[in-house]
Amino acid sequence: MISFLPESSYFGPPNMMSQEKLRDGGRLDPVQWAVIVSLIWSATFNAAGADDGIDFFESKIRPVLIQHCYECHSREFSEAKGGLVLDSREGIRRGGDSGAAVVPSDPSESLILQAVRYESLEMPPDSKLPGNVIADIEKWIAMGAPDPREEITTPITERKRAEIDWNAARRFWAFQPPNKHEVAVGTSHKIDGFIQSQLAEQGLTPNPLAENRTLLRRLYFDLIGLPPTPSEAEEFLQAAAVDRESALFDLVDSLLASPHFGERWASLWLDVARYAEDQAHIVGSNKELFYPNAYRYRDWLIDAFNEDVPYDELIRLQLAADLHTPEDPRDDVALGFLGLGPKYYRRGALEVMADEWEDRVDVVSRGLLGLTVACARCHDHKFDPIPTEDYYALAGVFASSEMWNRPMEDEAETEKNGQAKEPDQAIHIVRDQKVQDLNVFIRGDVNTKGEVVPRRFLTILSKSTPVAFVHGSGRLELAHLIASSDNPLTARVIVNRIWATYFGQPLVGTPSNFGQLGDVPTHPELLDDLAVRFMENGWSLKWLHREIVTSQTYQRSSDLTPDGKTIDPANRLLARMNRRRLNVEQWRDALLKVTGQLDSAIGGQSMVPDQPDERRRTVYSERSRFQLNPLLAMFDFPDPNAHAAKRVETTTPLQKLFVINSPFMVARAKDFAQRFGTESDDLVVQIQQAYQILFTRPPSQEELEVGRQFLQESTWEQYAQVLLASNEFLFLD
Amino acid sequence: MKPTPTSTLSRRSLLQRIGTGFGALGLAGTMQCQGLLGNQTDAGTVGISNPFHLVPRAKRIIFLFMNGGPSHVDTFDPKPALATYEGQQPDGKLYKPSKGSGYMPSPFQFSPHGESGVVMSELFPHLAQCADDLCVIRSMHTSVPNHEPGLLMMHCGNLQPIRPCLGSWLSYGLGSENEDLPSFVALSPGRPVVGPQLWSSSFLPGEHQGVAVDTNDLDVEKMIANVKHPSLSRSEQRKQLDMLFQLNQLHQEQRQNDQIFDEQIQAMELAYQMQSEATEAFDISRESESVRQLYGETPFGQSCLLARRLCERGVRYVQVYYVTKNGKQPWDTHSNNNESHRKLCADSDRATAALLMDLKTRGLLDDTLVVWTGEFGRTPYSQLDKKKDLNKAGRDHHHTGFSTVLAGGGVKGGLMYGATDELGMNAVENRVHVHDLHATMLHLMGLDHERLTYRYSGRDFRLTDIHGRVVEDILA
Repeated sequence: MISFLPESSYFGPPNMMSQEKLRDGGRLDPVQWAVIVSLIWSATFNAAGADDGIDFFESKIRPVLIQHCYECHSREFSEAKGGLVLDSREGIRRGGDSGAAVVPSDPSESLILQAVRYESLEMPPDSKLPGNVIADIEKWIAMGAPDPREEITTPITERKRAEIDWNAARRFWAFQPPNKHEVAVGTSHKIDGFIQSQLAEQGLTPNPLAENRTLLRRLYFDLIGLPPTPSEAEEFLQAAAVDRESALFDLVDSLLASPHFGERWASLWLDVARYAEDQAHIVGSNKELFYPNAYRYRDWLIDAFNEDVPYDELIRLQLAADLHTPEDPRDDVALGFLGLGPKYYRRGALEVMADEWEDRVDVVSRGLLGLTVACARCHDHKFDPIPTEDYYALAGVFASSEMWNRPMEDEAETEKNGQAKEPDQAIHIVRDQKVQDLNVFIRGDVNTKGEVVPRRFLTILSKSTPVAFVHGSGRLELAHLIASSDNPLTARVIVNRIWATYFGQPLVGTPSNFGQLGDVPTHPELLDDLAVRFMENGWSLKWLHREIVTSQTYQRSSDLTPDGKTIDPANRLLARMNRRRLNVEQWRDALLKVTGQLDSAIGGQSMVPDQPDERRRTVYSERSRFQLNPLLAMFDFPDPNAHAAKRVETTTPLQKLFVINSPFMVARAKDFAQRFGTESDDLVVQIQQAYQILFTRPPSQEELEVGRQFLQESTWEQYAQVLLASNEFLFLD
Repeated sequence: MKPTPTSTLSRRSLLQRIGTGFGALGLAGTMQCQGLLGNQTDAGTVGISNPFHLVPRAKRIIFLFMNGGPSHVDTFDPKPALATYEGQQPDGKLYKPSKGSGYMPSPFQFSPHGESGVVMSELFPHLAQCADDLCVIRSMHTSVPNHEPGLLMMHCGNLQPIRPCLGSWLSYGLGSENEDLPSFVALSPGRPVVGPQLWSSSFLPGEHQGVAVDTNDLDVEKMIANVKHPSLSRSEQRKQLDMLFQLNQLHQEQRQNDQIFDEQIQAMELAYQMQSEATEAFDISRESESVRQLYGETPFGQSCLLARRLCERGVRYVQVYYVTKNGKQPWDTHSNNNESHRKLCADSDRATAALLMDLKTRGLLDDTLVVWTGEFGRTPYSQLDKKKDLNKAGRDHHHTGFSTVLAGGGVKGGLMYGATDELGMNAVENRVHVHDLHATMLHLMGLDHERLTYRYSGRDFRLTDIHGRVVEDILA
């Protein structure tokens, strides 16, 4: 019933449409057209002979192919979309990803006919061919598809198994097992040995150690994410004046033991885990796909960091707690690492689930292994030794696991499948479902299925041919292989992430891509040595933290020396500590702490961080895929729709508008003014106290004078807002 | 805008402030700064918004979005054959079975307008006067007939919410023309379906995110967060900032004048300036009463007017959503299609025409691309509710053929391009997928959709992924 009647009764000459059609059909200009036709014509004319079928092909079929198909399906244009070339007899009969385009004498089996009729594919995509042309194609195929065109070269695109020289591939640095290294320079701390030997090569002298006050602030902000109070500062400074080293060790021990340590470091992991509590979409007011109890995973993380659960165990629990410790379901909430992932609209449809599996593969591979495995979903990885089969081997693990709202109480109402009826009565985790090995989806198209790939680990990280998983989904087997000291990447990746947080720059500049396109380490021996010793020390994160902050490298002053500025302006060699801007968690928490208003309760439901009267730590902020809180978004929080390798740091006027005008900042200034504007009548004393609390130092004479003058005409609240807005409050030396 | 010695100078000073403004100069500016774009001195087309890959035909885009999906056969794509086949059930490949009374002709009269004879229905009496400026693409198609993925496809070129939207790509590619204003603003009286993902920068740096503004209340301070201190006067605040600069100066002097503090100090000064600049830009009460009436005193009309003010001041990309306080997708006319379209078009027609005329009068239409579209079209056949009341018949979602209207900014005016079949079911001639529309829009802005890429997660991403081609035929 659908036909090509011109619907031109309103305007224009009746034949306008057909002219349009002719003009638009090919995107070659007439000259190109003529050249191509004449070239091919002359090249093949002799072979054509006088055969009727060939004549029919030359007069009716070849021009149509050239005009409508070659642009995307010929060698001439170096294109073979869908793996299909139509410019040779072999090409058209071999077909592309979907199968043979032409089966001689069998029109019903010839995909090209279905495509031009717009039955399966719709080709050519911009306009359906006229009916008589389609009839010609059918007739030609029925004639046996006579075709004089010889194949000139080998096909340019044909999906073939990746030809990877695995032995060569394994020689890449990141796939070599890390080893311990000796340091030449005699230093009491091994980290310093590696750093100083590279500095010496460049003729750079490391900076002296930072002064005690600076080091104190650095340690507080780095380890627990909060500034020291004046009395805490006083205690340390006195002890350090007697014995700096032992005062430092004591302080590090006490900060590592603080319950706030876990709050500070959970933030890093929440970015890695693309933690969020909802979805990027809401259908109507249906929040069924939301995660009201996501915070329990976040709180579990905080506890786990505080208790120093070994990192390998953290991985096993987050990927497979249900299979790893089935006798103890308390740790199952750790499965939120997977179970809080994005759920997309129309989930259930295969193509949508394929997108979800990509998310799981991505968060696991980039997050834990520093490998961009998701790149291999549609084609073999272009740069790394990851064939498409390996992607589907991992995706199969997640296809065999399902997102599950497990009821928290026995009384909770459940669906038939055991899932809680209401999400707020459940924890959001995963469980095994019907096991399935996936086909390769050729070019990522779920309708074009290739071979079946058993669930298994990545080839490049296996000693020989990887062994298929046999226990359920295979999540636990996968977890064991990731959290293994034989895995060359896992320890390096986490060591690099934690190093980056302390120094403001990673050893490997691309923390989630250790592949060919990633950066090479600035200090390969240091990275490897630290990774191995980290594993030897039972994958203890607290060991790693202590090891880093007790190095002299960490304790150096951040002053920029003339040598440093000329020889190593980017400070890749770490002759000095980098001066760092506080992240939004540290900055907002500090605002609350100095005004005496911080609510230091650990854990609990999430809150909205820019509410003026909200006084809990920033780590407890709602993280939304739908709409990230404006304060968090403005201050460089990553989009939790996907794993974030690192935070970008931007400086914008919008941030400053928040600082000078927002109700949150105005409330902080009020709090501060109330604390100081009343304690003493003496302006000088007040200002001195304020500086101690804000900056852990007394004001200079000039600062004192500036403050006094300002306070003659303006309120304490106005003064407080300026101090809170200052660069000194935002930066760590 | 021709380059003059002055503009080069100010450009240089701007370049020093990269990273301080709203996306400041974007990729083009950064690349030129690094000498990556070669020498671009004498071409008259080189302005501050550097042609990144191509000569730009448009400097800014206003994207008018009819949330829910307007019916193409009732607006820009007349199908008289629907009367012939009225009541017959559609056959062939359907996304889901028809639940209505079969083909339903449009009750609206269509006629040609202007010298070019662009055809539209009687629902667009004002827009008819702009006929010769319009480029109506009648052969649009998209991938899925559902709102969520349809909206995401139209905004981000992808069915899932994990990609940057067009406006963010433009901001990333070209930066802002006015660093005191955002380069990308999303105006919406209420919130459309999907919501913030539609103006998300996703993995692009956050500064390229659209600034979302609720235009239900046109009070400037309600529209822009933190634009004004709740109690301090401007002079009191100036005094605060003067002291702040003094304290920051002292702090910096003790740190060998570390450069990292400069951008903080500049950002603070800019923020102070922006308070007045942004307040002025967003304040439509500064427009004359007659202009405001021209656009219509509706949230959509006033949003269009605001869009013009913003574009005039250098905002690169403005989205205007047709949503209402209570309706996140008013054009989703599953029932009462005809009456609803009458009402919706009355408002949309007036505002869109006013915008085009206003831009033209100000000489801005030539380099401002205006796009009017929904996420898809509606079925040429009817959809009935349980009562089967034919008078209240609606139309369902339809993605295999619909219409999108472009104007200004380097497209041919007075053109009807492409066609659906005789019943408006499928785009059959000169088909234009959403990816093609995106490729064309970027092209008009001077960007090659195949070269505007961002390295993320191990590969280079594009707005058009591996798809899209520029629709050369509609370029002026």
